[in-house]
Amino acid sequence: MASSDWLDIVGWTESMTSWSMDNVHDLMPSEDIDLQVTIPSTWAWPDPFTIGPIFNLQDGFASIQPALEAFMHAMIMSTVVFGMMMTTMLAIPYIERKFIGRLMDRLGATTTLRSLWVGESGVTGGEWWNKLPFGVGGPIGWVIGALNKTWGNSHELETISRVNNRSYHGYWFLLPGFFQAFADFFKFATKEHIVPRDADKVVFEVAPVIILSTTIMVFAFVPFGPHIYAANPDLSLLFMMAIFGVAPLGVFFAGWASNNKYTLIGGMRSAAQLTAYEIPLLITVLGVAVLSGSFNIIEIVDFQIGREEGNVWNIFMMPLGALLFLITMIAEVERIPFDMPEAEAELVEGWWTEYGGIRWGLMFAAEYMRSYAACILFALFFLGGWEAPFQHTLADLPWVGGMVEFGLSLIPGVGWILLKAWGLFAVFVWIRASLHRVRTDQILEFGWRYLLPLSLLHLVLAIAIRLLFWDGGPWNILLPIAITAISGGIFVILAIDEDKDALEIQRRPYSTQAVVKASPGSHNA
Amino acid sequence: MAEMWISMGPQHPMTHGLWTLKVKVDGETVVDTEPDLGYIHRGVEKICEARDFTQITTYCDRLCYASANTWSHSYIYAAADLLEVEVPERAEYIRLIAIEIQRIASHLMWLGAYGPDIGNLSIMVWCLREREMMMDLLQELGGSRMHYNFPRIGGVKRDLPYGFAQRARAKLKLFLNRIQEYEALYDESTIFLVRSQGVGYAKPEEMVNHGVSGPNLRAAGVNYDVRWAHPYSVYSELDWSAPVERSSIKGADCYDRYRVRVEEMRVSASMALQALDKIPGGADTHYEPEDPMILAKAPSRAPEGTSGAHHFEDSRGESMFYIAGGGEGRGKQPYRVSIRSPIFITIPFAAKCMIGYKVADIPAIMGSFDPCIGETDR
Amino acid sequence: MGKIVSASVQKDAAEAIVTSISEVAGIKAEVVERSSGTHTRNVVVVNSSPTSWRSLAEKLYSDHAVDYCSMITGIHWPEGDDDRKWEVVYHLLRTGVRDPPSEDGVVQPIIVNPSTVRGFGTPVEIEVHVHLTDSRTPSIDSVQDIWVGADWNEKETWDLVGIDFDGHDGMRRVLLPHETPRGYHPLQKQHNLRYHGFEEMYDDAQGFMRKPDDVGKIK
Repeated sequence: MASSDWLDIVGWTESMTSWSMDNVHDLMPSEDIDLQVTIPSTWAWPDPFTIGPIFNLQDGFASIQPALEAFMHAMIMSTVVFGMMMTTMLAIPYIERKFIGRLMDRLGATTTLRSLWVGESGVTGGEWWNKLPFGVGGPIGWVIGALNKTWGNSHELETISRVNNRSYHGYWFLLPGFFQAFADFFKFATKEHIVPRDADKVVFEVAPVIILSTTIMVFAFVPFGPHIYAANPDLSLLFMMAIFGVAPLGVFFAGWASNNKYTLIGGMRSAAQLTAYEIPLLITVLGVAVLSGSFNIIEIVDFQIGREEGNVWNIFMMPLGALLFLITMIAEVERIPFDMPEAEAELVEGWWTEYGGIRWGLMFAAEYMRSYAACILFALFFLGGWEAPFQHTLADLPWVGGMVEFGLSLIPGVGWILLKAWGLFAVFVWIRASLHRVRTDQILEFGWRYLLPLSLLHLVLAIAIRLLFWDGGPWNILLPIAITAISGGIFVILAIDEDKDALEIQRRPYSTQAVVKASPGSHNA
Repeated sequence: MAEMWISMGPQHPMTHGLWTLKVKVDGETVVDTEPDLGYIHRGVEKICEARDFTQITTYCDRLCYASANTWSHSYIYAAADLLEVEVPERAEYIRLIAIEIQRIASHLMWLGAYGPDIGNLSIMVWCLREREMMMDLLQELGGSRMHYNFPRIGGVKRDLPYGFAQRARAKLKLFLNRIQEYEALYDESTIFLVRSQGVGYAKPEEMVNHGVSGPNLRAAGVNYDVRWAHPYSVYSELDWSAPVERSSIKGADCYDRYRVRVEEMRVSASMALQALDKIPGGADTHYEPEDPMILAKAPSRAPEGTSGAHHFEDSRGESMFYIAGGGEGRGKQPYRVSIRSPIFITIPFAAKCMIGYKVADIPAIMGSFDPCIGETDR
Repeated sequence: MGKIVSASVQKDAAEAIVTSISEVAGIKAEVVERSSGTHTRNVVVVNSSPTSWRSLAEKLYSDHAVDYCSMITGIHWPEGDDDRKWEVVYHLLRTGVRDPPSEDGVVQPIIVNPSTVRGFGTPVEIEVHVHLTDSRTPSIDSVQDIWVGADWNEKETWDLVGIDFDGHDGMRRVLLPHETPRGYHPLQKQHNLRYHGFEEMYDDAQGFMRKPDDVGKIK
């Protein structure tokens, strides 16, 4: 049973297009229009003969109507999906900025909110609440006092972290950085288009087109909900992975065409890295398709959420695959720790150094679009797509199940996908803020020597599980529990089991000279 | 791919200053390097020939702007040698506190800049957050956040402000806790270990012959430090020892140079705390400026034929001033001021260290030597 | 308490060097006591003739373990005696640093206890003054092959002061731009600090007609 919710945009569009085309059909005149011409006989031919068509507009329209309907449907769905993608993508740079800011201990706009109650030297923003009319400030003052007790400044932090105590700047605190993305985009759009003098003009212009168009085309096959997709061929997974892999070609073109040694190095690094990580990615995705029994993304999701199908999210059936997908996707979208091709410290933006203005802006947007696509794909392949967590379990609860099911059905599936994708993007940002950049040859070594065998192992496991344990119905609940427990156990063992001596030698710690190291407790007062 | 020369700089995020590093690469491997300095040569040595001795201190702050106090003190010790001035002990303690806190701030700046070189963006903001604490302390002492003009020939400009000792102790203790955060982000990250170990080897005897000293040298398993080798100030009164790293057989790599500086920050913090405890007159008394406890009278002329020189342990190595007296104004101005910058000598050595490694190792190696171009170009 | 090298040990080491190198012809060496405010330092101050500089350098390096060239300063004395128009001051150090040994593949760091250094491990400061006769192109032997640290110091000295170094491989401009005209060495005294005696302020926004701080002081 294919999953479904009330937000049936594909259905509505189909019915609307067929309704509108039917109306056009009915409006067409239904009489035959006789366009035949009879040529009288001349010395060349003795008998008169008739040529020409009998034109029936309505029938003619009826013959092209399916194509027109499909075209109109595709146009509308593409626009809807593209619009939905761009609108929801606004959250992505927002998450990145705010979360990285918080991880780097720059509180940012949350500081502005916090500054409403936090004080400096005991005074809060001029005690702004007392200025409100009619004395409504009193209760506000109590609330502020309470907030200061729980989330205020301790005396020590006050002097030390005062850089984080921004002041109340008026009502702008309501819009903390929301319009930054628009401002950035307008800035890019208004900048000059500079082409390096000896650059290969054709390839220089073609490269951003390739990158951007293939990235956007990926979203044609990505379903945002059970009935929100632009195209849904039977092999949508293969199509999408193929198109996802064309962008590296554009990257290489860009690096080479700019007539710049830096970009050339960046382009080569990128080509090597992306090629190296395409293969584990494809094998991982193949494992997912094998386990779910289909190359169609919607069917993969249905397999995870359907009561009569798998009924278990794939992340619990193949945690190794999920981890591999995460790592290879981070390498594919060239984020830290794998962003050597654009490594700022050596190559100052790498393969896109020479691009400015809207070309750079759109390629930058394309990188975020690819990250977004990676997050949505992870949500679709492993996190059950548009299903709420524990949806069937909650719906089966004895007393409240019906209400829960009704409540959950009010939320369209697209909401769950977006939440999962955004949450996963926060994980991407977290990784970016904490890890260092891996060197190119180390990236390649990691990809070929570690990820490739692991992805093959994942494929073998997927095949084995599917063949041995799948009987046409839902997975036995013990199976995902066992798999998750075993994988978690292996992970924990690898994480905590360290050869202490080897670690000491590797880390070569610390001052061999200071017998009493300077530490917080070793001085009095 | 054929060999080609790439020019890293002068505008480049890696270079920590304005200079060019021309690198000859064969694919991704560095085959040859050639550093190119002098972009911010401001002619400080020539300018100082037309300034009084007290006016030169401000120029010396601006030599290495990230570590301003160490440079102005380096000059002051040489000027004291030239003019033969006795400095009161309390002034020496105050100078030591200023120098060590400045050393912490300079290393924090380096640590914060080293992270983005290798790819970690968060550490920059964290280190600058702590550096703000140190800059607050130095602002209380010197009056401004970056170029303090703090020492005077014969002492210091002014005494520790009221409450300085309490604030300094609180901030230094907090800082000692926070160092563990940085170590977590660096030492516990396999990626950092993989990027910085085994890269940029340098052996101590070779380094000494090349003129490299300071933390770069101590990363290689020898504890040479100008503070005990050619003693000055009151380091003999404090309980400290220069941090040394046990390097690998091939020499010190980037990881060792990073660890040595982290340990140096700890040692500097403990030295500053000890100095606050031991300062003669107590850390909570405040003497007015020009009180003989903190400033001795100094002659202002140095006749021709005299000269002064002093070796000093700067944040980046051994710095030195040589001043020849007898300039204009019957000796009110120096005849020649010559400045030895440790990084001026370290950069060619670091450029040699890079040969044989990958292009991606260039920022790791160069960053680990802690270049500061202000002092290089003077 | 913090251990430092004691002044008397340094004095003995300095005097040992002085006695040894005084045997070289053309060398006048002595131990000078300098002050650092709180400590006295004993510095070996050497006056060498240009011809004996090279042999002195080799002797210091091979016999006295002077392994560190700190700075090379060039000074132009246009008003000095004829044979003292140019001066090169070398600051050298003996650091006492050796490569740490390794056992079983693990390096054993050498932790010197400063209060117990003796003999060839004692850090010593050496200052060598060499006076050159007047010439348009003064030159002195290069010590680039003895101490590599002298390499860029010599380049800088030639670049700024104009004293050439015989035998220096790869002499080039290092602080001034590469295409600076030949013969332009700004730290020579004939170059004025203020270009053509220009004694106005470049940026007199409000027209106060103030003079620069060093007006009248620059010759």
